[in-house]
Amino acid sequence: MSREPITMPVLSDTMSTGRLVNWLKKPGDPVKKGEVIAEVESDKAIMDVEAFEDGYLAGPLAPPDSEIPVGEVIGYLSDTEESPETASESTPSAEALATRAPSGSASTREVVTTQMSHTPSRPNPPAAPSSAPARKEALSPPAPGIQASPYARGLARELGIDLAQVAPGADGVIHGPQVVAAALRGPQPDLDAGPPYRIEPLTTMQRAVAENMSATLTTPSFRVSARLSLEPLMKAAREHEHSTTLLLAMACARAVREHPRFNAVYTPMGLAMRERVDVGIAVDIPNGLVTPVIRDAANRPLDELAEEWRILKDKVKRRRLSHEDYTGATFYLSNLGPFAVVTRFDALVPQGAAAILALGAEHQGQAEFTLSCDHRVVFGADAARFMETLAAQLRDTARLKG
Amino acid sequence: MANEVLYWQALNQALDAEMAADDSVFVLGEDVGLYGGSYRVTEGLYVKYGEWRVRDTPISEGSFTGLGVGAALAGMRPVVEIMTINFSLLALDAIVNMAAKIPFMSGGQFPMPLVVRMPGGVAKQLAAQHSQRLEQMYMNVPGLRVAVPATPQDAWWQLRQAIRTDEPIVLLEHELLYFSKGMLDTDAEAPPMHRAAVRREGQDLTIVTYSRMVDLSLRAADRLAADGISAEVVDLRSLRPIDWDTCARSVEKTHYLLVVEEDSRFAGAGAEVAATLAERCFFSLDAPPARHGGLEMPTPYNATLEAASIPTVTSIEQAVRKLLEPLPQGEQR
Repeated sequence: MSREPITMPVLSDTMSTGRLVNWLKKPGDPVKKGEVIAEVESDKAIMDVEAFEDGYLAGPLAPPDSEIPVGEVIGYLSDTEESPETASESTPSAEALATRAPSGSASTREVVTTQMSHTPSRPNPPAAPSSAPARKEALSPPAPGIQASPYARGLARELGIDLAQVAPGADGVIHGPQVVAAALRGPQPDLDAGPPYRIEPLTTMQRAVAENMSATLTTPSFRVSARLSLEPLMKAAREHEHSTTLLLAMACARAVREHPRFNAVYTPMGLAMRERVDVGIAVDIPNGLVTPVIRDAANRPLDELAEEWRILKDKVKRRRLSHEDYTGATFYLSNLGPFAVVTRFDALVPQGAAAILALGAEHQGQAEFTLSCDHRVVFGADAARFMETLAAQLRDTARLKG
Repeated sequence: MANEVLYWQALNQALDAEMAADDSVFVLGEDVGLYGGSYRVTEGLYVKYGEWRVRDTPISEGSFTGLGVGAALAGMRPVVEIMTINFSLLALDAIVNMAAKIPFMSGGQFPMPLVVRMPGGVAKQLAAQHSQRLEQMYMNVPGLRVAVPATPQDAWWQLRQAIRTDEPIVLLEHELLYFSKGMLDTDAEAPPMHRAAVRREGQDLTIVTYSRMVDLSLRAADRLAADGISAEVVDLRSLRPIDWDTCARSVEKTHYLLVVEEDSRFAGAGAEVAATLAERCFFSLDAPPARHGGLEMPTPYNATLEAASIPTVTSIEQAVRKLLEPLPQGEQR
């Protein structure tokens, strides 16, 4: 009998841990190569873990809902069927019994199950069952208790950083660079001064959003607001049963096409002028947000874009958005219009873009648009001209359909 | 003026210079006279200084090293050559019990200006009995000094300093270094004999090493630099005493320490370096100090196995990556 470990897959280039959502198979279940056996949540999406060969799923399996570093073993594929009762055992004796079981007589199998069911009442439980929890423990997330290098501890003491507030590196140990990063993030709130509290661990998505948003702090930005008419666009959306957001994204993309600087991104070497307008659209989901990207939104016909948007929204709903679906936007749109109380707001310019357009709820046919811009790429008057073009796009919705 | 010379030539010139400068300096050992030394270190000296100052001895390490001790007591400055460090086991009584103890036990009445030169290390298929390093044995003897020149320049400086010093000194020369080339500036001012040298400046980790492994570590550092890893390479030059200040300065800058030695790791020179620097630099270390050394076994005769039993440029490179790029928990390389 041979067992091949199944490891936590690397699903995006930024992923260091993944959350095992659930197992779709039980230990002992036969699986085919390519068949989905588990679901794993990465930075932003739930993805499938497929069997890499034919065989039987075998334990011990990592517990669902646990956060596991990439590359760590989450379960096993066996080339022989193991009975579910023995699948989680790891001692040679249990494995020997399990291998014999399929070919042996019914009594062999009987021995296994009786031994298992009687175990709790025995004064001296055999080694096999007692070893199961130890294996399981090795798979579960690291125990609370901070591991930090001496240098990290020394640095933390000097800089006044509480190591409990520092996220460890990939190896589970806090090293110097992590303490320095914590120090650069600025002072942490003094929780002891307030009421009692509990820590709600960040989901992988919350962590990713926190890091991305903190990264925007280095962008020197400014905002330009305008009150624009939304009436024609909303009318068109109603008549043709199109999403307002999609039509807005198209209007934005066409305005960007006329002002190519808004499609650029700042790099130390110069402005990266992108050849295609890919609009990222902020979408509200429980406990966070995602930004599915509509590619080439300035040039493709409405029907095609509408279909793409429908697929993306469906993926968002099923939490099946892949890394390629939500990365690489050149311009962003955030629409809080569905919330009637919101008159206006502004958004943070995400990394990789020069601007993001935020709009509040429509009121008497108009809405407040606020364009947040990277001042290294565009200037106030550029933003004003962009808004004029956008206003024209919104007035003339007939062109969107063309 | 600087010239490119071979390591053995630098030692030869150092002996020549000291013998010319001081009549009390003389050389003794097996095949040092007529034959000119197994590695040519005494070449030409027999002709120039005669058999009284370049003494061929029988195969009797205990006796002729003891003779060196006696001569040093009597005011001479003997330079004993033991053909390889493996044979110095026969001379341990003279070196450890006599040379290292007499200055102390006589209350300083008898200085011990004795130099014992010996080649060592894994060369080319000399088999287990002729491939030992054994430096950790001499490091553990208070009263001795142990120098490990890695370049012709250091060979020249450190042999001359050893001859002029009133303490007993073991000079360990690596057999594969004798025919290595390097610049020799005979006019350059020598650093103190035990001063470690930073052979390459770096930011990301400190490699502390000595003897032949200095060159291998520098070549590994070149390769790592191509990947943006900046290694600082410290050549100890002396194993007793060790220049801790230079090592600690480096570790406090880089926060990572890798010790590279040809000898097997257990209770070796690297253990001493790692332990003391862990004590001195504890709060500067961002990972446990790592040691990379030879395998825990007698050196095999088979050339492939022999090569696999000691560090290589590639294995040093891998040891650095392992130290700097920790893998996720539970995973093994």
